[in-house]
Amino acid sequence: MISVLIFGAVIGGIWALVASGFSLIFGVMRILNFGHGAIFVASAYMAIFVSKICYPLSLPSALLVGVLFGLMFYTITKPVRENEVAVIIVTLATALLIQQILLSIFGDRGLTMQPLLRGVVNLFGVRFTVMRIFSIVIALTVLIALEVMMRTRFGKKIEAVSEDFESAMLVGINVERVYIFVMVLSSILASLAGYFYVQIFSVNPELSLRALIYAFAIVILGGLGSVRGSILASFIIGYIVALTITLLGSRWSEFVMLLTIILTLIVKPSGIFGVEE
Amino acid sequence: MRVPLIYLAVGAILYFALPDSYLYTLGFAMMFACLSASWDLVVGYTGQVNLGHTTFVGLGAYVASVLVTGRIGFSTDVATSIAFSILISALIGVAFGAIALRLRGYYFALVTAILPLVFMQTVFVWSDVFGGEEGFSIGLEKGIPPELRYPFALLLSFAILTLLLIVVESRVGMRFMAIRDNEELAESLGINTTQYKIASFTISSSIAGFVGASTVFYRLTVAPDLYGIDLMLLIILASVIGGLGTVYGPFFFGIIIYLLKVLVIREILQTISLSLSDDIFLYAILILTAIAMPEGVAVKLRSILHRSS
Repeated sequence: MISVLIFGAVIGGIWALVASGFSLIFGVMRILNFGHGAIFVASAYMAIFVSKICYPLSLPSALLVGVLFGLMFYTITKPVRENEVAVIIVTLATALLIQQILLSIFGDRGLTMQPLLRGVVNLFGVRFTVMRIFSIVIALTVLIALEVMMRTRFGKKIEAVSEDFESAMLVGINVERVYIFVMVLSSILASLAGYFYVQIFSVNPELSLRALIYAFAIVILGGLGSVRGSILASFIIGYIVALTITLLGSRWSEFVMLLTIILTLIVKPSGIFGVEE
Repeated sequence: MRVPLIYLAVGAILYFALPDSYLYTLGFAMMFACLSASWDLVVGYTGQVNLGHTTFVGLGAYVASVLVTGRIGFSTDVATSIAFSILISALIGVAFGAIALRLRGYYFALVTAILPLVFMQTVFVWSDVFGGEEGFSIGLEKGIPPELRYPFALLLSFAILTLLLIVVESRVGMRFMAIRDNEELAESLGINTTQYKIASFTISSSIAGFVGASTVFYRLTVAPDLYGIDLMLLIILASVIGGLGTVYGPFFFGIIIYLLKVLVIREILQTISLSLSDDIFLYAILILTAIAMPEGVAVKLRSILHRSS
């Protein structure tokens, strides 16, 4: 029981980092970045690669991947932002391109990385690796920092752009700069999630699509565009996954994801805290 | 309506002109063209981005092959199994469409993107019935005899092309386009937009199921490449280059792109002995096309020609 509780929080915390960025991009820019999962996986691989050469550099290099990919996705979606079909095609094809490149470099075996912190702790009679507990703490800290940032002056600017970008432009907000910031910030969140994920679980290139499914399920449950909704939904999904894996086995987790999504769609199509499109 | 007949005539001439091995590949290309043209009905005509089209291809293929080989206890003949795969694709199309098409734009695209992944999980979870990652063969005696394969693909693609053209030129097709161009306006004119979107999705999915089932009898095996994301990307590529909302564009570029992928790109890669997957090139082409000319190469060329004349 306690192990499901912690396991769910680990999964929930990591997916919350992925999904909140995914949702932030949609909330502010009104585009869906199908490449978000690819950023997550590419950062995880970068961390593995660099950790073998110089361990302390693995985190900065993973985050650097996030920054660069964020800028790249900003650039390639800029000319087609108004065209839904084109945005989906461009980001999805880029994600698959990244996946193929990772596949040809690293192969399709699952890889994992030496964890940052070693050792186990004893919580209520069940043993956990320190890394799992640490990842929950970090995820929560980052998510709280994100909430706090949204209350600052700059956060208000982001909110203004997401409500109405034309009016935001009229009052002198540099909308493009906000877009770049949001894209890079979201990608960094995905990179951070990838960095922690690879120290607890193993990654393979196909994870980029799986990460997307989880992000989808979370944002549909939490409501597209609502960061707070997706954080809440991440933990709900985390516990659903943890329970599914413990009770039924891991291969059922995607089924349960789809079931959750369909139920959400039937009961409340806009999610818990959805924004109108 | 003259174009399908010309297509049929050219196809018949090629039957006598080309060697058998090319005919076999060309037949595949023709069936693939039906997939991109039917995808266009939902995306290009009705304006709903459907990323789950290949799920119905896989559904049709697996239903037909499981029924015809009797892996679930009883077996049916070829015609019945194809009929069943169309029926089941249509039913799932209606059911899924009724739930998911209440969503608009990106929300719908998101939900359809999950379909192929769930289908893949189903195939892997019940791998004793569906053959898992390896797939299975339906056996030579159940397939279409080799000399009839190409004529079968030609007639199938001719029939589907004609059907799609009839649909898009009918009143129903007009309503699809009205929904794509302005959903609120269409609704205020008394069009039940949800119903028409479901109709469009169901027609498209049934065609995908039909083509999926036919592919199995054409190539005798059923495997995950029939519903994979690679196939979906190829469908998108053919439709986007051909021009969304034209039927002809996705159909004929479907044939061209498929042949290019199978015959040319693979050949080039072998000559320069690069051990890269040929998909990498397709993805790169797709990204460039979508950024440079989202309206499609065919439409772009036409507008350039128009301007210069």
